[in-house]
Amino acid sequence: MKKKKGNREKANVVDDGEAVQMVANLITTKEEKKKDKSSKKKRKSQEKNNACVGIDQLGDEYEDHLQKQNGKYKKDRKMKKKDHSSSRESEQLVEMSKAVDEDEVYEIPSGDEDCSKGMKKWLTKYHQSRPGLKVLQQRIDDFIIAHETKLEQERKEKEARLTEGGWILVEHHKGRKKTTDSESGTTVGSVSQAVVEEKLAKKKSKELFDFYRFQKREAQKNELMKLQSKFEQDKKRIQQLRAARKFRPY
Amino acid sequence: METETFIDSMDFKVQELLKEVRLEYSPSLTKVVNDTVSAIKSAIDKIPEDLQVNADWAPGFVRDIGADKVEFKFKKPKSIEIGGSYSIGCVAKPDVNVDLLLRLPKECFHEKDYLNYRYHAKRCLYLCVIKKYLKSSSSIQKVEWSALQNEARKPVLVVYPAVKLDEVPGLFIRIIPTATSLFNLSKLNLKQNNVRALNTGDVPQPTPKYNCSILEDMFLEENSKFVKKTFSEWEELGEALILLKVWARLRSSIYVHDCLNGFLISVIVSYLVAQDKINHDMKAMAIFRAALKFIDTHPLWKHGLYFPPAGDNAFSEEGNEQHNSSTRVNLAFRIASVAYPELQDEVALTLRCLEKCRDGGFEEIFATKIDNAAKYDYCIRLNLKGNSEVYSLGFCLDDECWRVYEQDVHCLLNQGLSDRAKFIRVIWRNTHSEFNVENGLSGLGSEPLFIGISVSSVEKAFRIVDIGPNAEKKDEALMFQKFWGEKAELRRFQDGKISESTVWESEQWTRHLILKRIIEYLLGRHLSLLKKDIVQIVDQLDFSLLHVGKDPVSYSGRLLGTFEELSKRLRSIQDIPLRVSSVQPLDSAFRFTSVFPPEPHPMATKRVDGARVHNFTPFCVQSLEVMIQLEGSGNWPMDDVSIEKTKSVFLLKIAESLHNNWGMTCTATEEDVDVFMDGYSFRLRILHERGLSLVNREIGRDQMKWVSSADRKLFIHGQHASMINGLQFCYPIFGPVVRLAKRWLASHLFSACLAEEAVELLVAYLFLKPLPFNVPCSRITGFLRFLRLLAEHDWAFSPLVVDINGDLSQNDEKEIDDYFMQSRKADEENTQNKSKAMFLATACDKASEAWTSCSPNPLELKRLVAYARSSANLLTKLILQNQTDSHGWECLFRTPLNLYDAVILLHGDRLPYPKRLLFTSELDQGRHVAHGNPSNAFHPYLLPADMKGSLEQLKTKLMVNFDPLRCFIGDVEKEFSDGLKLWYDSLGGDAIGLTWEHSKKREREESELDRKYPVDLLRNVGEMGKGFVRDVYLLKAPRLTK
Repeated sequence: MKKKKGNREKANVVDDGEAVQMVANLITTKEEKKKDKSSKKKRKSQEKNNACVGIDQLGDEYEDHLQKQNGKYKKDRKMKKKDHSSSRESEQLVEMSKAVDEDEVYEIPSGDEDCSKGMKKWLTKYHQSRPGLKVLQQRIDDFIIAHETKLEQERKEKEARLTEGGWILVEHHKGRKKTTDSESGTTVGSVSQAVVEEKLAKKKSKELFDFYRFQKREAQKNELMKLQSKFEQDKKRIQQLRAARKFRPY
Repeated sequence: METETFIDSMDFKVQELLKEVRLEYSPSLTKVVNDTVSAIKSAIDKIPEDLQVNADWAPGFVRDIGADKVEFKFKKPKSIEIGGSYSIGCVAKPDVNVDLLLRLPKECFHEKDYLNYRYHAKRCLYLCVIKKYLKSSSSIQKVEWSALQNEARKPVLVVYPAVKLDEVPGLFIRIIPTATSLFNLSKLNLKQNNVRALNTGDVPQPTPKYNCSILEDMFLEENSKFVKKTFSEWEELGEALILLKVWARLRSSIYVHDCLNGFLISVIVSYLVAQDKINHDMKAMAIFRAALKFIDTHPLWKHGLYFPPAGDNAFSEEGNEQHNSSTRVNLAFRIASVAYPELQDEVALTLRCLEKCRDGGFEEIFATKIDNAAKYDYCIRLNLKGNSEVYSLGFCLDDECWRVYEQDVHCLLNQGLSDRAKFIRVIWRNTHSEFNVENGLSGLGSEPLFIGISVSSVEKAFRIVDIGPNAEKKDEALMFQKFWGEKAELRRFQDGKISESTVWESEQWTRHLILKRIIEYLLGRHLSLLKKDIVQIVDQLDFSLLHVGKDPVSYSGRLLGTFEELSKRLRSIQDIPLRVSSVQPLDSAFRFTSVFPPEPHPMATKRVDGARVHNFTPFCVQSLEVMIQLEGSGNWPMDDVSIEKTKSVFLLKIAESLHNNWGMTCTATEEDVDVFMDGYSFRLRILHERGLSLVNREIGRDQMKWVSSADRKLFIHGQHASMINGLQFCYPIFGPVVRLAKRWLASHLFSACLAEEAVELLVAYLFLKPLPFNVPCSRITGFLRFLRLLAEHDWAFSPLVVDINGDLSQNDEKEIDDYFMQSRKADEENTQNKSKAMFLATACDKASEAWTSCSPNPLELKRLVAYARSSANLLTKLILQNQTDSHGWECLFRTPLNLYDAVILLHGDRLPYPKRLLFTSELDQGRHVAHGNPSNAFHPYLLPADMKGSLEQLKTKLMVNFDPLRCFIGDVEKEFSDGLKLWYDSLGGDAIGLTWEHSKKREREESELDRKYPVDLLRNVGEMGKGFVRDVYLLKAPRLTK
């Protein structure tokens, strides 16, 4: 039951061919399990040391993969040959990685001299990013000036491009003068933004939606469609619930 | 229209539930039942007539209940009939049992056997004889003892048939003796004394419980018949009964021996029918509701439930005697006066669910388990095994000693806790399946006694001083002293009153332990229980929140004070072009929901106090975000980049001003400005409203594209912060629950999956929509409910609506539903890229865009749910079962590392706060791929060498918000984002889990992948964390696609 669930989960991720392989794997590992029960027991007890008791459920499904990792490559190879041709590739990979593995555990240097990676890099980066308030101020000022000239240039270029063909760019100023200060929201002119919005909303609500018969019909139709889709959704949900044994209160 | 579909869906679900729960009478089942019954009958037939029976058949039992004169000659039972729920077709799975009523023959009893437990003894001996003969029957697998409603003096036989049916596992048949018309009813009047041993002085005391115990047997058959007649050919009534049973069974606090049981429910329903409260037009749910209303309004324990109701002559076979109300049996006699308010509360909650919950409350009523662990705020177990105090007065007088003990404990706590507790429930389920009647009753105390306490309000429960009677009232004062012993002290209060009182001195962050101390003290003082026998579930999870033995939340008061001062200073700044108009805290530390709110750093102040710089002074300072708003101005630039830069300029100016005017140290990068004050570091952010409108315009143009600017994010953060802050003040226990939840998520490496704010909203939901529970009032209960919410909410099909201010209208809800449907529909169409697996809607975020739009994705959610489920189960077990070791509790926060494809372990002493690490992770499986040495460039604590220089200089060396883990994760994700997924603990864990991602991109680049087979890849990853990574393990190579 649990295994099945695990399978399903995986099947979601991988395609069907692989699911088949998965099942085959499960079967073979079952045999394996029988063979070396004692070693399994040992491992289990080890597992217990650092594994949460409660999550055995998830643990089970990953277990068989772990088993392979435990240095039983020979057996592994045999099985894989049997069950799938495509797995040869991965087998090669495993072999390759084994080849590299001759020197067992790779030593990562502490990297205290090397600033390109790791702790040293982060520390340097941290310190570099804090040159002091004055320097920062200068940098930002420079940036803004550069940015503004860039924008200005872009604008000019655009203008130039347009005027090239003998056209003159006439800027369009939309509507009347601004009435609201957009930052503080205070009204400069006559009406504030909020009032306008409110008015608009009111206007909208006054519109008649059931004036013509076709409007009424359409509204009804829409409502019906909505209900229908909701019903479908409900049905689907209940099916799902049933599958998940949600109706069983025990 | 809307409501109609509503109700329909409820009905539909109820039908589904009934299908699932109702026992089908398949031919194979009826055959097994009939065969077993006839096997029982024939076994009984084999018993020789006039077999001499005496106390030797069950010497222990007869001795312990104190019966004399128990010899009798065995006669065959008068009748054997199937009764109970099986006979009316209302068995609710999963407990399938068939009640077999066996009428005891009058010849075996004397007229006066109702005295001194003679009836009980003979009843038991009779069963002993039957048991002996049943054992030899081949169609019976085994025969065990059980007790009728946990009443040990009334044992029953449980017979397991030899044939097992897969459809009904665990089927058994109970043999229940009945005593129809054995005794004169008037002798069993509730005021009569029938146990001579019970007297005060020479005056015999009435024995109502004892009398009822006999009366119940005498009327069992008759009542059973009445129930049977009522239920026959009435489909809906039976359905309602099953619903009621399901409802009651899910609530373990009321489905126990001193409250409801299946038979009593069927009696209540029949009673209602007889009273014309239920008619044939009603549907099952309507009957269900009527029955609940009846329980709610009719105090069963006070008025009793007499049967048949007065005025109904249909069942008076026994003549006129029964109409004398004093001799009818009160069928509700088991309902204790202390259990009824609890029952009433459950019923009221259920009725509220019916009214208020989504979809008619089906989930809450019929699908949510309300076990004691999740219901009660404080759970206590008393280990009374071998405690002879319990039965020092004898096992059974009027009532059984265990029931008396339950009452004693209840009384004691009720008096001691006074208004701190709303409900105190004491339950001692003491008959277990291995219970062997023949050996007597002394073994029955081995199960722990359970005490559940619902707190009335957190303020009351956390109260430090209890004021007793005025000193002038001598008698009362004396009583008070006697009750509290050395704890009672005379005190003068502010209003000049001098009163007896008890004081439970306690620091703010240990207030939740006050109740524990009181209970421990009282149980020790009055029942002389040892500390080791009292297991209180209160503080077992606190270890996960402590930092160097202290809860860092205790510094929060100081933090808030500092923040106040900072905001005053900010608002008073004059020398910047625009003045600061408002200052708002953003970080969770300000609202008590941060797992580790910062402790004041001795160096992060204006004047460093050298004396407070100790050996373990951390090198890093946590910075807390603060949002400020400036006065409006029309001179802001218009484009995004310039706005951000202008903000930085403003912040730098502010920092400069703070430095000049107050001497505060500031440190800044191009993005962030941090200021030190009073041991804390604050990171300043400016919210510019123009930024918001910029975004809005963007949306207007292109609906699908969601542009999230810095301002937008800030704005949402600000809204969330003030919302949660308000909530936190209403529910003082909210903070600790959130902290536990965050800690749990982080320690299972889910830091990247669920945003901090989302956790706060999830927990907020528990407090705002507690139904079918009451609002949680303790951290462990709250945490358990959080885990269950995560595990049980139907994420795929329903949005979680967190209505913090209770201001969502119907239209809003509909809008949310629409958004939800939209997002699910989009998922269906586009299966590649599912979003919002967890739909969290609030009043200001109806489309769930703020916190869960990117993560968790469906796969992450699945994992999250699986973890939550197993943790919830473990926690329930820890609360309810007798485990006293701390290891089990630690397991809740210990994550199994074997569930990842690869694991990276970090150097614990290179984490910025090594003390936050709960457990050092080790791995002894998989392939050890790489090992790294720690860097010498970084140390979490100030070294003696650092302290040689001047303190001022040292101050500039402090690192603000430096987090190597975040840097590492960032680097790795940038490099390998398409092939790897990282699971990590941002709260200070030393392990990172890796899983292989399957993405389309990778399939295409397979040739490249050949080069990067897992070991090399992992080594590269390890290389990126030079000086930080300790070990890299490979557990499972990536699966390759064709």
